[in-house]
Amino acid sequence: MDAFLLWFDEFWAVYSNLVLTLGINALLALSIWLTLACGVLALANAAFMGIGAYAGALATLNYDSPFALSIGVAMVAPSLVALAIGLPVLRLGGVYLAMATLGFGEVVRVVILNTESITGGALGLNGIPQYTQWWHVLLALVIVIFVLARLHRSKTGRAFEAIKVDETAASLMGVDLRANKLLAFVLGAAIAGLAGALNAHLTFFIGPQEYGFDRGVEILTMAILGGVTSIIGPIIGAVFLTLLPELLRGLADFRLIVNGFILVAVVLFLPNGLWDPARFRRWFGSGR
Amino acid sequence: MRFMRSAIVALAVTTGAVSSQAAEIKVGVAAALSGLAAQYGAAIRNGFELAADEINAAGGINGDTIKLVVEDEQGRKEEAINVFKKLIFQDKVLVVFGPTLSNSASAAHPIAQASRTPVFGTSNTADGITAVGNYVFRNSVTEADVLPDTLKKIVEKEGVKKVGVLYGNDDVFTKSSYDNFVKALKDQGIAVTTTETFAKGDVDFKAQLTKIKATEPDAIVLSALLAEGGPILVQARQLGINLPIIGGNGINSPKIFELAKGASDNLWVGSPWSVSSDTDVNRNFITAYERKFGSKPDQFAAQAFDALNIVAAALKTVELSGDIAKDRIALRDALPDVTWTGATGPFKFKQAQDRSGKPAGYDADQKPIVSVTKDGVYEIVN
Repeated sequence: MDAFLLWFDEFWAVYSNLVLTLGINALLALSIWLTLACGVLALANAAFMGIGAYAGALATLNYDSPFALSIGVAMVAPSLVALAIGLPVLRLGGVYLAMATLGFGEVVRVVILNTESITGGALGLNGIPQYTQWWHVLLALVIVIFVLARLHRSKTGRAFEAIKVDETAASLMGVDLRANKLLAFVLGAAIAGLAGALNAHLTFFIGPQEYGFDRGVEILTMAILGGVTSIIGPIIGAVFLTLLPELLRGLADFRLIVNGFILVAVVLFLPNGLWDPARFRRWFGSGR
Repeated sequence: MRFMRSAIVALAVTTGAVSSQAAEIKVGVAAALSGLAAQYGAAIRNGFELAADEINAAGGINGDTIKLVVEDEQGRKEEAINVFKKLIFQDKVLVVFGPTLSNSASAAHPIAQASRTPVFGTSNTADGITAVGNYVFRNSVTEADVLPDTLKKIVEKEGVKKVGVLYGNDDVFTKSSYDNFVKALKDQGIAVTTTETFAKGDVDFKAQLTKIKATEPDAIVLSALLAEGGPILVQARQLGINLPIIGGNGINSPKIFELAKGASDNLWVGSPWSVSSDTDVNRNFITAYERKFGSKPDQFAAQAFDALNIVAAALKTVELSGDIAKDRIALRDALPDVTWTGATGPFKFKQAQDRSGKPAGYDADQKPIVSVTKDGVYEIVN
């Protein structure tokens, strides 16, 4: 037992940050999964994460607010922004919506760059106290998964599913497209903001370039790679994408090449993502 | 059983042999070997490898050899934290060098400070890096120190009284360099005719340059990275602006001669290191570097090379106990007093202060070299 504790102490000292990043990335993947589950391809989650991170960090730095309040601010701020831009933007569909939300992400980045007196501009915010503990991330993840799982099985979840499969049919059956899409969009923004605040209070520093296009694509990749048919997919995708580069660390210079090859292989051979219940049934079919 | 016994004996013999022989001193290097900052990280790794080879070939440190543990931090803050944790807690290195970018340093250095491990930045020039605590060192001269000297030199030589300013406002490096320029210009009473900005990825700067030209300055202050700095030089000369251009650290690289071919003259830069600096140590460094890597060193390689030598000089005064926690503290206590003359010239530390004015880490106390470009080489301005 002592040996285990010793081993665990050492493991935690080296990998605590990685483990917490796993949780935070899982939250991000879930935030985009929510909109994807409603058939909406919105790529604004990195920007919402940034808004949350800045709002939370500024609350902590400038107003000495308790961590719980900072997190609250970090969830409310992006939700309000999502509400404001969601109303006009969600009238768009498909690729056009993706482009509009990408553009919004760029707007957020440039605003952060140019409101220097508040956000520190390109230099970012420095010296954010490290409040995030392991149980904060775990608790956040458990609550979000619970809420999303309940939502998925509720009437609203069914409505999301209906919209995803066929918008026209859903609206003819009396599903309010706009309200449901907006709900998914705003909830997703709140979750992304939560992840942003947890990340900001873990890494001492945030800067505007962290919440740009790269991060947006990373979040989308986590969800798609994991599989968007159920809530487990995005979590697996986040764990996979976060762990893979660390597991391959031994390969030194070839690390990123192998990393890329593995991703290509996954996409080629598992087109529905890592977690695909239909495929599992085919593989391990119950003797039919 | 007999086999077991002989195995144990063999084991005892080998371990005995190892401990009586030279021990290894593990030194961690966190550098951006991939990602956008990879070109800096590669030069930094080369600098460390060259220094380690030379130190080990010359008999090591009191008989112990230096072993580098190099990890890629990709120029990202999360990776920098992961790498720092691995180096400090798993590899149990004595000191960590890096990371490459100031942003990553802001995220990773608190980890070293909290675990009482000396951390040594060789390329972090942003303000506040050493405010983290007393285990944080750097030998990278900050622009707050370099730029005033550059301006003083050009005022003295060219009689500059008013300047136009052009800077990139969406990059940490060019922005912080601009802030330092503004402060130095104000301190020295140099007037600013106009301030123009551009963004990363821009290719056409004629609008900004024309505006600057119209205000008739004596020189142009330019805070840009190489990718934009090259075209800016070319376009300025095309517009007939033949004024001296004063650059920050970001544009100080021999690559500017390729990027601004035929238009690279009259660019003034201050830097802690110059390829034209004609000291013995620097000449030997350049020759050895070219022999080992087949390319010319840059400032980042030179600073990495010096950094390991500075730590080696401190280690020579320390008796290592083999207890890593004690040895780290001993090294920290020895480092501030080190003076060293390396590729970047005479070097010593000066203590920095944290936000509340209490003594914190250690910055470089070093005179920068001001040079001006002419016909594809840097000429040192005396």
